[in-house]
Amino acid sequence: MVRVSTPVRWLLRTVAVGYVFLLVAWPVSLVAVQTFEDGFSNFVGIFSDENTVAALQLTLMVALWAVVINLIFGVTISILLVRYEFPGKRALSALIDIPLSVSPVVVGLALLLVYSGRTGWFGPSIESAGWQVIYDSPGMIMATCFVALPLIIREVVPVLTEIGDDQEQAARSLGASGRQTFLRITLPSIKWAVIYGVVLSLARSLGEFGAVKVVSGNVTGRTQTATLIVEAKYQNFEQTTAYSVAFLLAFVSIACLVVVAFLRPQHEI
Amino acid sequence: MSIDVKNVTKKFGDFVALDDVSVSLPKGQLTALLGPSGGGKSTLLRIIAGLDNADSGSVNIEGTDATRLPPQKRNVGFVFQHYAVFKHMTVAKNVAFGLEIRKRPKSEVERRVKELLELVHLSQFAHRLPSQLSGGQRQRMALARALAVEPSVLLLDEPFGALDAKVRKELRDWLRRLHDDVHVTTVFVTHDQEEALEVADEIVVINNGRVEQVGSPDQLYDEPANDFVMSFLGEVTHLSGISLRPHDIELESAPRLAGGVEGTISRMLRIGFEVRLTVLTVDGEEVSVVVSRTHARSLGIAEGSTVWLTPAAGATVIPRMAAVG
Repeated sequence: MVRVSTPVRWLLRTVAVGYVFLLVAWPVSLVAVQTFEDGFSNFVGIFSDENTVAALQLTLMVALWAVVINLIFGVTISILLVRYEFPGKRALSALIDIPLSVSPVVVGLALLLVYSGRTGWFGPSIESAGWQVIYDSPGMIMATCFVALPLIIREVVPVLTEIGDDQEQAARSLGASGRQTFLRITLPSIKWAVIYGVVLSLARSLGEFGAVKVVSGNVTGRTQTATLIVEAKYQNFEQTTAYSVAFLLAFVSIACLVVVAFLRPQHEI
Repeated sequence: MSIDVKNVTKKFGDFVALDDVSVSLPKGQLTALLGPSGGGKSTLLRIIAGLDNADSGSVNIEGTDATRLPPQKRNVGFVFQHYAVFKHMTVAKNVAFGLEIRKRPKSEVERRVKELLELVHLSQFAHRLPSQLSGGQRQRMALARALAVEPSVLLLDEPFGALDAKVRKELRDWLRRLHDDVHVTTVFVTHDQEEALEVADEIVVINNGRVEQVGSPDQLYDEPANDFVMSFLGEVTHLSGISLRPHDIELESAPRLAGGVEGTISRMLRIGFEVRLTVLTVDGEEVSVVVSRTHARSLGIAEGSTVWLTPAAGATVIPRMAAVG
């Protein structure tokens, strides 16, 4: 390591810590401070508001579905990208990164264009078949899947690349079928990457706002998620409720990350 | 024959890895596929195992046409150069893998794993993870894992290539002894001619996607089919139109033998017990000669000395071919 003089080292530390403190730690902690200004009563209070409870349940349902769907597709796409050669592979890899670079609002509008019941491409035919996509949970799940799509893949792909396919070939030569090889060799090797990806996806899905706002219609008590109710309550001068729900969202996300950071063995990547 | 490979061709894009290769490997023997890197020997081994597919041709293992069989149906054991250990499993679990896949009873699996770990001298490491083993120990574990399923053939792809010289030599001797005990038809790929000559019953020399020669180590060394085989199995030099080994040249300080070629020593290098000489003959040829240190001393030669060279009686010689060696 390059030796750096003591004053420079202290300066670098101060800048880094100060930056993260002013940008992240302080503002987030103020949300907690606001929430617990009058003790626990505000925080407990949100659970007696019917609409808030409905929003929290909806958020949980949408996030869980989105995570499950992204888990299945994410692991499949990762294996496809790393283990197989096919035309258009680079294009697929680039497409997967789009949700990282495109604003969620654009995602919401794009989904409206395709699935809207009145004007979308598929929307009217799906709707006449009895499926409501936009302004209902399928659309919200789709929007959430879209924004969280790259998270599992970007965790799993480097690990799959690093472990190579030697172990899988060895398993095949020892008599394992494709399914047995996946369950006994591939999956245990990428376990931590998958778990980390799932946690990131969950945190991202719980907090999704823009895309969901466009496709949900934001109907209180029916298609209003936790993030949407934070905005609504804040604008209705119910700041304490807004802060309490915001705190709950932040708390769950941070708790997920902390739990995984502790569970994950130190020597594994 | 245990393994019959017929007319196998394999291309990777424009590169021809195997060009119409046919070879039969006898049952119960230890065969080496020997050749330079990129010559196609690993590809041939992987095609036998079913890890790669031939573009054309057939593979027959123990009388069954295996050309279209997936690897898990061929009953072959494969050992990889970089061990391919299952990192998340203990040594015992690694060895048990093939048996558990085959749903063997638990008691049988335990007994067999115990036997195999004793065979490869890893009993005391049964409950360790592979990351806690040395390279040589990992490769022995991989070998036990491949043997556990009682394969009809055991295939080893440069099994000792990633190990340091001393461990490599130990494992080589150990593999030979193991094969004498277990008698499973074994094929291993190597680019190290010493390894092939020392361990194998039979050697298949492969170069540029073709089989150059098949034979016992003695046949290959004493009767090489061509310049390539001769030069790949050891050092080769040229003396008046023939190829021969540098240690098969008689060196004299006076023209005593008939047909001796006169020359001057242009370079002299002593390595341990041997002395390597470069002799510039009167015909303008540069000839390498190896003599023992004692012999060189008894002749009293030095750089600049005039010497006479003759092929030794009984030396392996083949006519020199242009542009090879």
